[in-house]
Amino acid sequence: MKFGIFFELSTPRPFTREAEWAVYHNALEQCRLADQLGFDHVWAVEHHFLEEYSHCSSPEVFLSAVAAQTQRIRVGHGAVVCVPEMNHPVRVAERAAALDIVSSGRLEFGTARSSTWTELGGFGVNPDDTKKTWDEFVRVLPKMWTQDEFEWQGKAFSMPARNVLPKPYQDPHPPMWVTVTSPGTELDAADRGLGCLGVSAASFEEQDRRTQVYHQRIQHCEPVGGLVNDQVHTMNFLYCHEDYRAARDLGVPMVNAFNVANTHLYWTREAYPTRAYQTLGNAGAAMKAKRAPADDPSAAKGLPEGVGVGDPEHLIATVKRWESIGVTGINFLLNAMEMIPQPQVLESMRLFAREVMPKFRTREELDAPVWAPSRIDHRGLRHQVVGGAEQ
Amino acid sequence: MITGTADPIRLAQHAPTVSVYPKADVQLDDVVCLQLTAEMRNSAREAVLPPALHPTIPAALSVQVWRVGASPWGAFSCTFVRVGCRSGVRARGFTTGAIASTAVAAAALRDGYGFPMRVGGVQLRRGYDGAHAEVQFAGTTVLRIAGIDPEPMGLDDVQYTGTLNLAHTPNGLRLIQAEADHASTLVERLSPRLETFVGAAWGNPLLVPAHIVSASVAVGSIVLQRVRFVCRVDELAFTGTEAVA
Repeated sequence: MKFGIFFELSTPRPFTREAEWAVYHNALEQCRLADQLGFDHVWAVEHHFLEEYSHCSSPEVFLSAVAAQTQRIRVGHGAVVCVPEMNHPVRVAERAAALDIVSSGRLEFGTARSSTWTELGGFGVNPDDTKKTWDEFVRVLPKMWTQDEFEWQGKAFSMPARNVLPKPYQDPHPPMWVTVTSPGTELDAADRGLGCLGVSAASFEEQDRRTQVYHQRIQHCEPVGGLVNDQVHTMNFLYCHEDYRAARDLGVPMVNAFNVANTHLYWTREAYPTRAYQTLGNAGAAMKAKRAPADDPSAAKGLPEGVGVGDPEHLIATVKRWESIGVTGINFLLNAMEMIPQPQVLESMRLFAREVMPKFRTREELDAPVWAPSRIDHRGLRHQVVGGAEQ
Repeated sequence: MITGTADPIRLAQHAPTVSVYPKADVQLDDVVCLQLTAEMRNSAREAVLPPALHPTIPAALSVQVWRVGASPWGAFSCTFVRVGCRSGVRARGFTTGAIASTAVAAAALRDGYGFPMRVGGVQLRRGYDGAHAEVQFAGTTVLRIAGIDPEPMGLDDVQYTGTLNLAHTPNGLRLIQAEADHASTLVERLSPRLETFVGAAWGNPLLVPAHIVSASVAVGSIVLQRVRFVCRVDELAFTGTEAVA
């Protein structure tokens, strides 16, 4: 089981310069601590115009700072929006490669297409096209990273032959992921040999379904790149405290506030009739932290089901449950709109690392580089890769 | 987290009175529904909503025009304007103004579901080249919209969010959840056109469509569900929702 931290950089109103500064610098401090404590990944989203919910519009800048301030933790670009109106694919390839070099081969590369009209409308994107351009991006990026001469005639973009530089530090290129919000995207990930990166809190039942079909399907994938990433990560929240009541009283409102802020976005399906977006994002779903069932020991404590809010005992049971359904990593959102004071966020991370993480790792695993995808050689054989070097 | 700032007392001055909630669903047949969505200026987003509701980001409004061929109230046409919002975590539209073509339909929709219906001229024409709607009230054209160049869509590709209507009810001043289930046999996406929109005629001069987003038309039937829930106007839906017996 891998453990990561996940940043939307949600920001409280009013949006003062000081508030924005505090959100970014508190997050960087959390990254430095996560690196020391043995967390595996730092993920940062790409969102635009999402007031309060996410002020993380330039994740490559944030992650560059993370890379410069940490030693071992992997930096997750989670995820780059693969529509040309927002990001030209050449610029995506260049930035990712540079970030991989700066981080000495610690980049995880996520891909997405955006689900809000707030963002798509802001950039003048036709929602009908985002699945198509995403597909084009994920197929050309590995070529840009590995070919000395790349040329392309496509729908999203065309270009004459050029050498896209620099090349990533990892050979052949960073592991690739796709964010999964809508049911069915896990199949898109599996078919292309991409990791399945959950970015919205799914129920045990939904994640179990996704994970099963993903693992079955990826056995027969046609990888878009030079390696297969068969990991399934899910998103969760973290507030760990020795006293479950303290965890509950501070953590549950944070979870609920974040989820409510998410529903305020103007979802594409609501604004624009299209076949390409079949759900209202997370709006319309019951996104409040769900109480545990009556027969669950957590119910007596009033702790939510499946959410990383509680005392260490609760969190160990929760992580075990996620592990039992095939999830290989959990990425935790540590705060929302700065509702939890920074010293308590840091203490929550320390307690989790001290009491919970060792139950799922050996000391050697905690200290080792964390990446283990499969690289495919010219004979079609897979090789494990760790920290840029094959084993 | 932003919420509406409109004064419920002021809003209540023009709110209809619902003495008895409808206890059965109502079927509307031979329906053509034209919907247009637009973004509004953010400066107005809180001011047009009551404190129970959250605006969308960005602020948005939608216009629906219905032409109903058969209903318990006879044939009629109606239009209502809604501000996009969230009630708790649910996607909703808060109705700011509504006009129906017949007094019978206006009364039924006003007195049963809390739509702030008035009687005016509502015309909706749909052809192979698009759909055109015009609404007149007190001798003035207050809405003229159109959608042209239809593209066929899947029957479930258009989203109709639930509606909240402010009304004096047996529970007190409440937001009535008016749910309309659309069963469509044809859905088209259209290139939207907005020629006339008089915000004051639709409940608030602050309603200014700033960026037209989409238009769609659906042909089929609509079931107006019986009223099952109402919400307090000054309390968030998590605690302010009440079931109606």
